[in-house]
Amino acid sequence: MSIHTDVTDSVLDPATALDHCSGPGHGAADLFIGRVRNINQGRQVLGVSYDLHSALCRNVFNEICAEAKQQWGEAIHLWLVHRHGRLGIGEASVIAAASSRHRDESFKACRYLVEQMKHRAPIWKQEHYVDGDSEWVKGHALCGEGR
Amino acid sequence: MNEATHPQTNKTNQTNQTVSIRLFGAFRQFGPESTINLMVPKEARVADIRQAMQSHFAGNDNALALLKASAFATDKAVLDDEDPVPRDESLSVLPPVCGG
Repeated sequence: MSIHTDVTDSVLDPATALDHCSGPGHGAADLFIGRVRNINQGRQVLGVSYDLHSALCRNVFNEICAEAKQQWGEAIHLWLVHRHGRLGIGEASVIAAASSRHRDESFKACRYLVEQMKHRAPIWKQEHYVDGDSEWVKGHALCGEGR
Repeated sequence: MNEATHPQTNKTNQTNQTVSIRLFGAFRQFGPESTINLMVPKEARVADIRQAMQSHFAGNDNALALLKASAFATDKAVLDDEDPVPRDESLSVLPPVCGG
C-alpha cells in the first residue's frame, strides 16, 4: 500500500515513516515531525494530552491522502500517523511523510497532509502547565450552528 | 484508547427516541461518562440534536458557547444540521479541532 494512516498510543518512529516513503523511482522524500513544545502563548507547558475520535480520524486521514494522490499523482507514497494520550516536551505528536519522483510534489504533498490534518482531523489537545493548571487549546471549527 | 462505542438510539415511545452523544475534547468536562443521552423526535435532524443539547446545557454558558462552534458526526463523516439523524450509528459532538 502506498498510503499508511493511523492513530496510536505508541511512540512514533520517523525511520518507519521514511522506510514506507521510499521506492526505486523516488528521488525525493519529505518528513514532518510535530513535537510538543515547552511554551505556548507565554505559558510554560509541561506536557500535552491528545484526545481524538479514532474511527473518524482514520477516515479523514485517508481522505486527505487520497486527495494528495489525486493532486500529485498515483506514484506518490504517503504516511500520516498521530499520537493519542499524554506526551511530554519534545515527544512527537504527529509524523507526516511523502516521497515521489521529484522534490516539488513531495514537498507540497507533505505540507498538504499536515495543514489538512490540523484543520480537519478530529483531534484535540489539552495543555498542562507548570502552575498545575490545564487548558484545552482553541482550534478550528469543523462547522457549527446553521452550517 | 478510552473510546467505548455506544448504541446510538433506544426506542422509548412512539414519537421520541433517546440518542447517545459521545463527547470529545473540551466537552469531556461537561459529561462525567463522556456521553450524554438526549431525547429527540423520531425522524429528527441534526439540528434537533443541537437544540436538545442546548436545553441540556441551559445555564452553562461555557458549554453553550462551545456547542455553537461544534459539529456533529458519525464515525464516518461530519454531518450538516439539516441531515437526518442516522439510525444505528454512533453520534459524536466535535468541538473545534487542533491536531499536531
